[in-house]
Amino acid sequence: MRLAIVGCGAVGGSIARRMPSGTIDQLILVDQKRADDLATKLGSHAKSAASVPPDVDVVVIASRWGSQTALARQAIRTGASVVAVADSIEDVRGLLALNVEAQERGQTIVVGAGFSPGLTGVMALHASSWMSEVDEIHIAKVGTGGPWCARQHHRALGNPGLDYRRGAWIPRSGGSGRELSWFPDPVGSHDCYRAAMGDPLLIAQLFPEAERVTARMAATRRDRMTARFPMFVPPHPDGGIGGVRVELRGWTEGRREIVVLGSAAPPAEASATVAMTAVHEFVESTSVQTGSHPLASLVDPQQFLRRLATQGLQTERFEGAQ
Amino acid sequence: MAFLRFVRRVVTAVTGAAMIAGVLRLRGQGGVPPQTGGWRELSGPDHS
Repeated sequence: MRLAIVGCGAVGGSIARRMPSGTIDQLILVDQKRADDLATKLGSHAKSAASVPPDVDVVVIASRWGSQTALARQAIRTGASVVAVADSIEDVRGLLALNVEAQERGQTIVVGAGFSPGLTGVMALHASSWMSEVDEIHIAKVGTGGPWCARQHHRALGNPGLDYRRGAWIPRSGGSGRELSWFPDPVGSHDCYRAAMGDPLLIAQLFPEAERVTARMAATRRDRMTARFPMFVPPHPDGGIGGVRVELRGWTEGRREIVVLGSAAPPAEASATVAMTAVHEFVESTSVQTGSHPLASLVDPQQFLRRLATQGLQTERFEGAQ
Repeated sequence: MAFLRFVRRVVTAVTGAAMIAGVLRLRGQGGVPPQTGGWRELSGPDHS
């Protein structure tokens, strides 16, 4: 298999470094600044390129927000399937809109193969198997990966998010709707707010009958004060530890039930682990659905979470609250 | 003079409103943390 990675920043670079050389025939790295150095370090199975060559089987898109739809369109037109680590509303919408074209070309686009969205959807689908009926799904995340992730975090907080309510999309002001969310240790509790996140668009595809789907991200007072201004300070190379949290509300055997799953990890590393596992699942699968789909709808959630756990990305469940 | 007084009043009103909105937006916390319970890693039975 020939695999291309577009964008060799915190997430793409991590995928390239951790991808076992035995599983792929050739790794092509596409990044204006970092591809040459990284390819040299990785050895003979890796090479850099200015753009994705036409004979690639799978393209992992880990580039900055706003660029992923055009790259995915180009990839499917050259006969490659796509694993996209998209998290902005624009990218997720654009990638989902390629569904018909991807089907016609017999290719698959995995939309949101990162920490959030990505792992959040798989967690939600897995947790839903313990309940008779799910009517609400609430996503929260804390932390950022590399510099572009931090920029996207800043941008998302200053723009309207989307709440899903009984089949309708309701725009909600970014930075509103404060809610204290409890993440797995060592992350702990953080106030989370609405933001322009791609998660609800994908979760609503997984749970079209849900009454409410929301997504929030953790922010400080300074984040909220400055969200509508340009970033005055350059973002850090890596944001350290972060976390995701998925809360499902519904019914089991006639009684109200709430299930909360979460995970704590550095977001860039976690996204790389999810994307890499998605590529492996994709390669190993004998019958892959064509079209453009959320990651969770293309994998077996139990098996996927087990595989992530063996690679150090552990899912946890919150239990015992009154 | 009347125009300047009007401008000064508008600026004062807008500044005051912005300060009050800022305080309302930033004050407080989002809720009460859970008093019991905790996180545990998913294990065998959780994967069935």
